[in-house]
Amino acid sequence: MGPDFQLFLQQLLNGLTIGMVYALIALGYTMVYGIIQLINFAHGEIFMVGAYLGLTAIGIAALLGAAVPWWAVIIFVFLFAAAGSALLGGLIEKTAYKPLRGSPKLTALITSIGVSFFLQNAVMLIYGAREQNVPEILPAKQWDVAGISISLIQLVIFGVSVSLMVFLTWFIKNTRMGKAMRALSENPEAARLVGIPVNRVIRTTFMMGSALASVAGVLFALNYGSVNFHDGYLAGLKAFTAAVFGGIGSIPGAMLGGILLGVFEGLGAGYLSSEWKDVFAFLILVIVLIFKPSGMLGENVPEKV
Amino acid sequence: MREKNNFYKFILVRLPAIRYTLYAFLFLAFIFSQSNLFANEDTVSIGVVAPLTGDQAYIGIGVRQGAQMAIEDSNVKGPVFGDSKLKLIALDDQHNPTQAVLAANKLIADPEVLGVVGHFNSSCTKAASSIYHEARLVQVTPASTNPEISRQGFDTFFRVCATDDVQAPAAADFALHKLGVKKIVIVDDQTTYGKGLANEFEKKFKAMGGVVLRHDGITQGEKDFTPLLTKIKSLSPELIFYGGVYPELALLLKQSKKIGLGATWLGGDGIFDVTLIKLASPELAQGVYSTMLGVDPHSLPQAQDFVSRYEARYGEIGSFSAYAYDATNALIESIRRAGKKDRQAVLEQMRLTKDFAGVLGTLNFDSKGDAIGKSVGIFKVEDGKFKFIEEVKPA
Repeated sequence: MGPDFQLFLQQLLNGLTIGMVYALIALGYTMVYGIIQLINFAHGEIFMVGAYLGLTAIGIAALLGAAVPWWAVIIFVFLFAAAGSALLGGLIEKTAYKPLRGSPKLTALITSIGVSFFLQNAVMLIYGAREQNVPEILPAKQWDVAGISISLIQLVIFGVSVSLMVFLTWFIKNTRMGKAMRALSENPEAARLVGIPVNRVIRTTFMMGSALASVAGVLFALNYGSVNFHDGYLAGLKAFTAAVFGGIGSIPGAMLGGILLGVFEGLGAGYLSSEWKDVFAFLILVIVLIFKPSGMLGENVPEKV
Repeated sequence: MREKNNFYKFILVRLPAIRYTLYAFLFLAFIFSQSNLFANEDTVSIGVVAPLTGDQAYIGIGVRQGAQMAIEDSNVKGPVFGDSKLKLIALDDQHNPTQAVLAANKLIADPEVLGVVGHFNSSCTKAASSIYHEARLVQVTPASTNPEISRQGFDTFFRVCATDDVQAPAAADFALHKLGVKKIVIVDDQTTYGKGLANEFEKKFKAMGGVVLRHDGITQGEKDFTPLLTKIKSLSPELIFYGGVYPELALLLKQSKKIGLGATWLGGDGIFDVTLIKLASPELAQGVYSTMLGVDPHSLPQAQDFVSRYEARYGEIGSFSAYAYDATNALIESIRRAGKKDRQAVLEQMRLTKDFAGVLGTLNFDSKGDAIGKSVGIFKVEDGKFKFIEEVKPA
């Protein structure tokens, strides 16, 4: 294996890591869109709030002392962030979107932009405008496999993301709630008629999407070691792109779109130019949309928005 | 829910006393909110414009706080003239030139405003400068270093910091002759400031015989730079010059460590902030070089009082808070000397500023409005602090 090929694999691995995070955020966009055809622009901010909740949980864990092993801290941090964000997601749905159900789609869309500004500035006022340092709670382990270095945090990102995606796929396929979600996305009127509790299903979808985004936020914070109240904007935009890329409304599409977007970005920045990294990712999106307007795995349904 | 509504209805409908009290209360609240109804005719304001929200809010808030302290100090001393109190009007330009122009138009339309401290970003300062010029309103920037702004020939423009004319050559000379590096890589954040500084540096470094292996750009707000750093590592440069602000540099340092890239880093005033060391950890920030406009206010005897008062009140001092404090104080001095609510008079007094004693040193302006003799300091991170290495006087 030549050094060039090793470099290629290293860039591929870097891209996959960030792609996993995009995929987790993209799931929330796609689930909400699938059910109520709303592009929830506040979703990127939920991701950012998740990162800050994770930071808070690390602070709480630090108060308990050093006796707690690192994996227990990690589990606590994930649960704390996911629970907090799920509550926040449910609350936003109840206060901001539910009163607008039945009004034009654009109204809810604009409301979501408003929620996004609200969350950003609320976090700025609570935690301050400066970047916050995230303490390293993972041991700084690193392995060399055939000349490619893999760190512990990368393994955690892969492990957590893949298990969540497998769980979500199982949940949507097999549970009552999952079936209700699918029914609602297929035909809301019929779903209501057969007695599916529409409000509860929508609320649950928001909460699950928010929990996934917050886990992504914690992974992001742990990987890069700093968080800022503005982080949700770019990450949310990228994840939204990934969701459209994979076919918005499609759950496997969001996973595939996220991972591919990360890989394209990684290789684009590594081999072309880092200045044109975003351009490269969006160019591929445009090309896919020209040939397949519903995205890679999206279904060809008439445009609803 | 319904019972609750009935309860409120009951209070408002059945108990007129409570209802009228409420109306009176609202009316009074409205009256008091229109504070200028009661204000003295001689209220005088100074505008401060900087990015107060968005991803550069941390710098803008530091500027606003510096200006706020100057205003309060002046009010403790007494009214600027007559019995008028000074007021600060803080506006947000979101480091966006369009917003900067809107803010400038708002300030010139307010007859109480006698001067402006701002803006922060060179792009915003430049866009707003022609508006202030037409309105004959003094503009003092605490931080914009782009040399083009003062070359437009606006007599209303003043600047209390050094320009990139001084900063970039000082950095290039230091890298080549003091650090003795020949092969370098340049990374900038593609902003007016970052790219401008990096380009100026590249020009000087090449002219002095150095070799620039690559010049790359990154996107501000982006978090993952491993692809770029992996590529830079394969070139093994001796030094990397970074044109940009510190949040991205902290990530660059962390990710360099992860992939085993061991070059020295050098940057401009945008990376000079203790938060860099906190974010990147003192070990990883160790050995990073930075040029800074002037010197660290902590090391100046005349700034001690200001720094300790500032930090007692707001916490850690921002990189440009002292500049904002000096800029605002110089402006207040001119307003005091003018002694009337007249923008032209304030402007004339501002141009007559001579040996103004600021916390960052004595201030004099040249014919373009640039501060004379503002030097550049070179610093190195050692044991979690920016340590002063040397001072470079303008040529």
